[in-house]
Amino acid sequence: MSTVQPALSPGGLPGSRAVAAVAWERLRALRPGLTLAALALLFILVAAIAPSLLTSRSPTSIDLGATLQAPSAHHIFGTDQAGRDLYARVIHGTRQSLLIGLGATALSMSVAISLGFLAGLSGRFVDGAINRLLEVVFAFPVLLLALLFVTVFGASATTQIVAVGIGTAPGYARMVRGQVLAVRGSGYVEAASALGHSYPRIIRRHIFPNAMRPLVVVVTLGLGQSIVWASSLAFLGLGVAPPAPEWGALLDAGRGYVTKAWWLEVVPGLTIVAFALAVTTLGRYAQQRLEGANQR
Amino acid sequence: MKCSLLVRRAAPLVALTVVAATIAACGGGADGSAPAGAAGGPALSPAKPVRGGTIEYGHQQEPPCISGGWVEQAYISRQVFDSLVSQVKGGKIVPWLATSWKASKDQLTWTFKLKPNVKFSDGTPLDAAAIKTNFEYWLNPKTLNSTVADYVGEYYESSAALDATTFQLKLKKPYSPLLSALSQGYFGIHSPAGLKRGVDKECVDPIGSGAFVIQKWSRGQNVTFVRNPNYNSPPANAKHQGPAYVDKLVWKFLKEPAVRYGSLTSGQSQVIYDVPSVDWDEASKKYQVLRYLTPGRPQTLSLNVTRAPFDDVKVRQALAYALDRKNAVKSAFGGAAEYNGNGSLSQSTPDYDPALADAYTYNPDKAGQLLDAAGWTKKNGDGIRTKDGKPLKALVIYGAGSIINADGATLLQTLQEQAKQVGFDLELKPLTLTQLFGGQYSTPDTYQATPGYWTSPTAGVLYIVWRQNLKDRPNYNNSAFYNNPELEKTIEAANSTLDPAEQKALYFKAQKIISDEAVAIGLYTRTSSLAIDTSKLRDVWLEDSQGEPVFSDAYLVKQ
Repeated sequence: MSTVQPALSPGGLPGSRAVAAVAWERLRALRPGLTLAALALLFILVAAIAPSLLTSRSPTSIDLGATLQAPSAHHIFGTDQAGRDLYARVIHGTRQSLLIGLGATALSMSVAISLGFLAGLSGRFVDGAINRLLEVVFAFPVLLLALLFVTVFGASATTQIVAVGIGTAPGYARMVRGQVLAVRGSGYVEAASALGHSYPRIIRRHIFPNAMRPLVVVVTLGLGQSIVWASSLAFLGLGVAPPAPEWGALLDAGRGYVTKAWWLEVVPGLTIVAFALAVTTLGRYAQQRLEGANQR
Repeated sequence: MKCSLLVRRAAPLVALTVVAATIAACGGGADGSAPAGAAGGPALSPAKPVRGGTIEYGHQQEPPCISGGWVEQAYISRQVFDSLVSQVKGGKIVPWLATSWKASKDQLTWTFKLKPNVKFSDGTPLDAAAIKTNFEYWLNPKTLNSTVADYVGEYYESSAALDATTFQLKLKKPYSPLLSALSQGYFGIHSPAGLKRGVDKECVDPIGSGAFVIQKWSRGQNVTFVRNPNYNSPPANAKHQGPAYVDKLVWKFLKEPAVRYGSLTSGQSQVIYDVPSVDWDEASKKYQVLRYLTPGRPQTLSLNVTRAPFDDVKVRQALAYALDRKNAVKSAFGGAAEYNGNGSLSQSTPDYDPALADAYTYNPDKAGQLLDAAGWTKKNGDGIRTKDGKPLKALVIYGAGSIINADGATLLQTLQEQAKQVGFDLELKPLTLTQLFGGQYSTPDTYQATPGYWTSPTAGVLYIVWRQNLKDRPNYNNSAFYNNPELEKTIEAANSTLDPAEQKALYFKAQKIISDEAVAIGLYTRTSSLAIDTSKLRDVWLEDSQGEPVFSDAYLVKQ
């Protein structure tokens, strides 16, 4: 009994410190950053799949009597220059933004995996040719390449996807090639080869799964990045046509009002940041887990 | 708007010039006299004028060449050029390079007496021969200024230098808007020696006799002008005769509305163009605000009559009734522009018919009845009307930032939403300047509707915009592709009529046809506005042919 005395003593400092430390430990164990990221992502996914669950307002309905209203209980994110509810626009813009991000990542991964495997598994000549090609494309900044593409083919969600997808592919392709080369030279592949397994079987059973594992993380990180690129294009006026509420387009539309209606710029901006952060946080977590699994 | 076909035929740089000229035509190419009065601002306190110094001016967009046929080029090239005549409020013409002029009885021969001893900034004389060279240059297919051609091409017969200071212009048929047309910046007189350098050089460094001389064009940033110390040819309506008061004019291209207005509030500019609607009220209180409702064709939605659904007049009228344009314009622009319901002419144009402003007042019920009568009776799941299974849909293309500014884009989105209420799906497609004038969107099969303007000081602009688009004589400005021989004949008769009353009646008749057929739905006045910090700068003004800013009378002050 007497051992608990100090904790009950009026001074009680050591005891409460201990409690705080324990609480802190527990909280750290819960990983609030991760939880928050997961919650944010969940919210964003709901917004993308079923936006009407989160808002009953239409993202395009105009109210000329309520233009440029600051955030309030009635319009939590305020209204834009045509009296549209910004919250509804951000929520309804999620699907388009996400689809562009996902589409671009999927495209760039497909291109990267095809080229990377082809380069990594082929002879010196093909490998060299692909490498030179990648180096040339790599020499152009992603945004410049994307801009070129959009200028030639015109602005739309599809060109945005293709532009960002092609623009980001070379980086991934080199990564894939590196992985393939590393795995190809590993002991277990040599062993499989020595055991007389056929080449296609070795690729299928050993090289592909092992080379792809680290890419899972890269894909998650790339998703956030793709949305940022796509938003940048939309911000430059090269995205979806108005009045579609894509995040980057919202950012673009708010630009002219930044001194008089800050919310039009800050809210879509923070949304993009929040999404990219959430995906990146979860991606890092996955990376740590996978590396841990490898060590085991 | 559809000026781009010209471009395909021409060499790249010529093309650019032509394009720009065409833009003027499509977008807005002419000028007109409109109220250029102070719309607001604090009372001027006494201040000491300062000689010299630099005017920092923030403009909203950069044209592809400094001179040419687009109104954006007229704004900037006015600083370098003088024209034959100038126009003042009410449409009156006053002397400029021409001190007097006379038309023959049949109005076919015009004789201009020129100011003596005027020199271009390169030292060569500005005489009658120079003016003749200019007319021939503008109308030469190789160096065409398409806006000049749009105005006088069908009327021009020949020009002659009778002596050093007497210039004679011969026309094929009478053209009463001639002097108004000549007052615009497109008709600014270039140095013939300068023209000889070729179009590339003329694009970036045109030489005139004006108050300023181009020192440097830093593309994407600004054009620096220096004072022409020998300037002796200001127009009669200038606030002073003689060279400019300031040493330098820096014409900055500040595309972002917030940046442009911010450059004024932060003191980086003393004057800016195109005051953003969101800052209009504040600017009107803090600064001197000049507003000029540009005459000519206002911002109108042209409906392509060659394609469904606008090949049916009932559908065109239905769209006009479906849009609450008056309130939408008020909301999108505040004081920065005015609603203009008449789709043919802006309210500041001479011979404008005010009765047509309310020809299609907002009436969604009537719009619905018209659409029913036109056979668009069913509705699909999205609430869009259908006929034979096809949705009631129209693609609206527009030059984003170049022809339609940010406030205009807000307006289009508002109209899109209003159209949806009656089951009409308008799809908006913003185009870059390159797309707009590159030719991909100039043919009837590429869009159903497009907004555009054509600045002009005269109702004669109707001829430019509505002349028929025929195979042997294409008219790229007729963006509705509306061919009506009666309309063309009416406008032609008006242009050549010498009796003002009869002319007015004919222009009214033409406006009525355009309105009844609902081929162009009036939206808002294309508006030039300036906000001037009068604690630093005084006596900037907007001239009256199309609202070109004038800096030759402006001076800096110390308080």
